[in-house]
Amino acid sequence: MSDEVGEARVGELKTASMTLQTPHLLPVVNFYCGGTRNSLYGGGIFRTIKEFLSSHPETVHGRDYSEFFKGVMSSVAALTDFNITQERYLDYLGTPIRDRVEFSDFDGGLFVDSGGYKILQKGGLSGSNFDLNVSQKAVYGIQRAFGGDILVNLDSPLSPNDDYETRVQKTEQTAEYVREFLALTTREESRYLTIHGHNRTMIDRFLTTVEHTLNRPLKGTFDGFALGSLVPYKDDMGTLIEAVTAAKKELADRDLGDLPLHVFGISGRVLPLLVALGVDSFDSASYLHAAINGKYSTSLFDTVPLSQAIFDDCHCPVCETEALRSDMRGNTRYQKDVLGPVAVHNLAVQQFELKKIREVLQTGDQDRFRSYLEEMYRDRPASRKFAYRTINKTLEPYF
Amino acid sequence: MMEKSVHSRRPTVNEVNEFLETASDFENPLELIREALSNSYDARAENVEIQIDELSDGRTRIRIKDDGVGMDADGLASFFDLGNSNKSNSIGYKGHGTKIYYKSDSVTVETVKDGSHYHAEMEQPWKRLNNHQLPEYQYQISPADEASFTKIEIVGFRSGDSFSSRKITYNRLDHYINWKTIGGSLAHRFDEDAHEMTISLELDDSLDRTQGTLSQSSRFKFPPKRTDFETTSDVDNLCKHYPKKILTVNVDGKEVQIEVVGFVAGKAAREELPTHGRHSSQFGVWLAKDHIKVERVNDVIGSDHEPSRFFFVANCQALELSANRETIRNKSDSVYSAVKAELRRFITRVTENEWYREYTEARRAAQQVRASASQSESIANRKQQLSLDGHKVPSNPPEVIASLAIYNETADSDIRVVDYEPGADANAILTVGEKLEAATLVVNLHEIFESELTVSELERIVCWSLGDLDVLCETARKGYFGHSIDFVTRGDQTSLVVDGEEVPIVELRSSLY
Ligand SMILES: [Zn+2]
Repeated sequence: MSDEVGEARVGELKTASMTLQTPHLLPVVNFYCGGTRNSLYGGGIFRTIKEFLSSHPETVHGRDYSEFFKGVMSSVAALTDFNITQERYLDYLGTPIRDRVEFSDFDGGLFVDSGGYKILQKGGLSGSNFDLNVSQKAVYGIQRAFGGDILVNLDSPLSPNDDYETRVQKTEQTAEYVREFLALTTREESRYLTIHGHNRTMIDRFLTTVEHTLNRPLKGTFDGFALGSLVPYKDDMGTLIEAVTAAKKELADRDLGDLPLHVFGISGRVLPLLVALGVDSFDSASYLHAAINGKYSTSLFDTVPLSQAIFDDCHCPVCETEALRSDMRGNTRYQKDVLGPVAVHNLAVQQFELKKIREVLQTGDQDRFRSYLEEMYRDRPASRKFAYRTINKTLEPYF
Repeated sequence: MMEKSVHSRRPTVNEVNEFLETASDFENPLELIREALSNSYDARAENVEIQIDELSDGRTRIRIKDDGVGMDADGLASFFDLGNSNKSNSIGYKGHGTKIYYKSDSVTVETVKDGSHYHAEMEQPWKRLNNHQLPEYQYQISPADEASFTKIEIVGFRSGDSFSSRKITYNRLDHYINWKTIGGSLAHRFDEDAHEMTISLELDDSLDRTQGTLSQSSRFKFPPKRTDFETTSDVDNLCKHYPKKILTVNVDGKEVQIEVVGFVAGKAAREELPTHGRHSSQFGVWLAKDHIKVERVNDVIGSDHEPSRFFFVANCQALELSANRETIRNKSDSVYSAVKAELRRFITRVTENEWYREYTEARRAAQQVRASASQSESIANRKQQLSLDGHKVPSNPPEVIASLAIYNETADSDIRVVDYEPGADANAILTVGEKLEAATLVVNLHEIFESELTVSELERIVCWSLGDLDVLCETARKGYFGHSIDFVTRGDQTSLVVDGEEVPIVELRSSLY
C-alpha cells in the first residue's frame, strides 16, 4: 500500500508475474467460448472483447486497449458456457491462456475464479459430449491450466434464501474445499480465500469454521481475500456496505487487515463507496451485460440506450475511432460487432473513473477524497445517504 | 388622416389604495410586535420594552420603547412612508413593515436623536384611508439632553377576523417572539458581533395576570448539550448541537449561501424550550431570512425520521418574503428548490451520522422498555381480572382455543385444534379422538349466522357460548341460505341441525361454570 485515505487505500497488487494498481477493476472475460483453435474468436460479443484484449488489428484500428485489461477475471465455469466438446476442452487446457498465439498480445494479470456458484448450481461442468465431476482438485487443475495469477478455492456461495442450517452446511463444505485447496496449491501461487456472509456474525462464523477446519491460523496462509455471495445484493447499497465493513473488521480483528480484499461481481454506483471502505479490487461483467442490453454508459452510474448515445462526449479509444462509431451505429453485419465496442466503451468509462479515484487517493488528501465522493453522489438521493454514511464511517465525520 | 404624434405619460399610483392594500396584508397584532422588534434591532437597541394594555373603552394600546439610535425628521418620514426604507442592511421588505401601524386609530412616535426630541402623531389613519384620504402626521421638534430612544404607541389596532387582541398572553407573546421574530435569532451563531437585545414584556392584567413582566434575550438558546447515553432513560434528555455550517449552492451561476445551525434532541430536552400550543409543531427545519424563522420545510427531513426531533434554522438572504413577511414569495424560483435540495443533503448528513444512528437505536431500545413495562402492567391487570372472574371470557377464536384446553381437562374429553386458519369459514381442523373434523371456532355461536359463514361442510362447532339465542331462534325460523336450521339438545349435548344432519356443538362455558 502506498497511500491511505481513511479506510481507502491505493497501492499495488503484486504476484509472481504481474503488478496491478489498486483499487483495480478486473473485467470478466470469457476466453473460451465457441470457436476452434484456428478460429478462436467465436462466441458473439465475447469474441469481440477478446479481439480488443488481444489487439486484433482489424478491431483495434491502431489503438491500444491494454490499459483496460491490465487484470482480468475469468472463471472456470466459463468453459461450459458454450457447450464445448471434450476434445476442445482438452485442447483449451493444453496451453495456458497467455501462451496461446491468439492471446500473445495480452499480458495482463489473470484472476481465475472457481466459478463455484455456477458449477455447484449445475451440479458439475458439462459439455456437449462429456461431464466433469467437480472437485476442488479438478477446479484447481483448470485454474493452473489457464495460467492464473490469482487463484481462489472452490466455494459454495450463500443465497439470501438459505436458512441457518443451509448456511452452516455450505460454510462447512467451503471450508473443506479450502483445506483441499491449500493441499494442492503452493506458496508460489497467489492464493485468495473466498469469504461468504454479509454481516459480522456470518463472516466471523465463516472465518472461524475455515480456521477450525484447516487447523491452522489464516495469517500467513493466504495472500488475499475475496468476498462473495453479494451479487444478489448488488442493488442494495446498505447491505453491501455492511458486508464489506463486516469483512474488513473481522479481518482486522484477526490481524489480516493488511492483505488485499477483493469483492466478487460488484461494480457500478457502489464502487467508490466500497473503495472508501477499503476494498482493493473488484470484478464485474456489468460492462458486457449493459452492452448486451443495448446500454451505453455515460458515467459510472448512468447509461443511455445505444440509439441515444452521443459518442462525441466520450474520449475513450472506442468512441474516438470513426470506424467503431460507425459500428456502434449499427453498420455491421453482426450484432456482436455493434455491441462489442459498446462493451469496451462501457468498460473504459468504469476504468477511467477508477483511475480518477486512484489519483484522488494518491494525493493522500482526505478533503479531496471527501469532495470527490460528495460530488459523485450529490444529486443521487437514493445512494447519497449511503455515501454520507460511508464518509461518516471512514473519513473525518461531518459532525 | 391624422398626423402621427408621440406622447409620453408617467403611470400613476393611487397612494391611498397602496397604503390600504399594504396594511391589509397584516392581520395579527403580533406582527406589529415583530416589525417593531426588527426596527429596534436595526436601531441597535439593547433594550426593548413592550407594554400592551386595554383602554377603558376596550381598545388595545400597544407601546414599544427602545434605547436605539432614535429617529430624526428623515427617520420619521421613512417610518411613515411606504416603500421607502432608508436603512441599508435593514430587516424588512421594501419598508412595508411599519405600515402595519396604519391599521389603527392613532400612531404616536416619540423619539430622541442627536439632542433633538421629536413628537409625531397621526390621527385616525385607518379611518382616513378607508375614506380615501391619505393620513398625515404632525411633528414637533424640541431640544433634549436625553440619550436617544424611540417610543411608539398604537391605539386601537384592527386585528383580522381570525385574531382577537384578547388572545395576547405572556405565553403566546413569548412564544411568538422566540419562534417568529428577531427575538429568536440565531444570527449570533454566525456573527459574533451580532448584538444582543433584551426584550421585556408587560401585559395588562385584563389580558394576562399570570405574571408581572417577562424578559428575554433576543438570542435563541438551545437546550444544553447532552450527547452521551448509557441507559435508555437518558435518551429523552439527549441534545446534540450541530455547529454552524455555511452551505453554498450554485443557482443559475450565482452563489447562494445558507447558514444552518441546529440540534437534535429528545422530548425532555425539547420541553426546555419556550413553548406554546402543540410543542412538536415548532420543530423541524425552518427557513429563515434576516435570521427570522419564516416557514418550515420538514419534507427535507425524509419520511424515515420524525421531524419533531430536529431543530434546524437555515438562514438564506436569497429568499424573498411576502409583503406581510409570513411566507416565502419566490417559491417557484430555482433558488427555493436549490435551497431545499441542499438542506435535504444536509439533513442526510445528520441522519447518516454515527451518533444519530446510535441515538435512533437507543430510542428504539427505550421504546422497547416502555412497551415491556406497559405489557407487564397489562399482564398484571389481566391476572387480576382472572382472579376476580375465575375464567377468562374469550374475545377471539385463539382465546377460544386456549379455553378448549381447560375444557378438555374439566369435561374429560379430547378435542384438539391441529390446524387453525383465521379468515376461513371452517377455521379449524380438530382431532376428536382419532378422527379429523372440520370445525368452526367462534366466541359466540350466533356469530356464525351473523357473519354468514358456510355451514354445510361443518362437522363440529366449538364456541365459548351459544350467544344470542334470539339470533339462533330467528335463524331456525327463517332458514339459512336455503338450508333448514334447527337446534336440538339431547342430555347435555346441543347440536346444530343443518338439513337434517346433526353438527355437535361444544359450548365451553357451560362445562366451566
Ligand atoms: Zn467511449
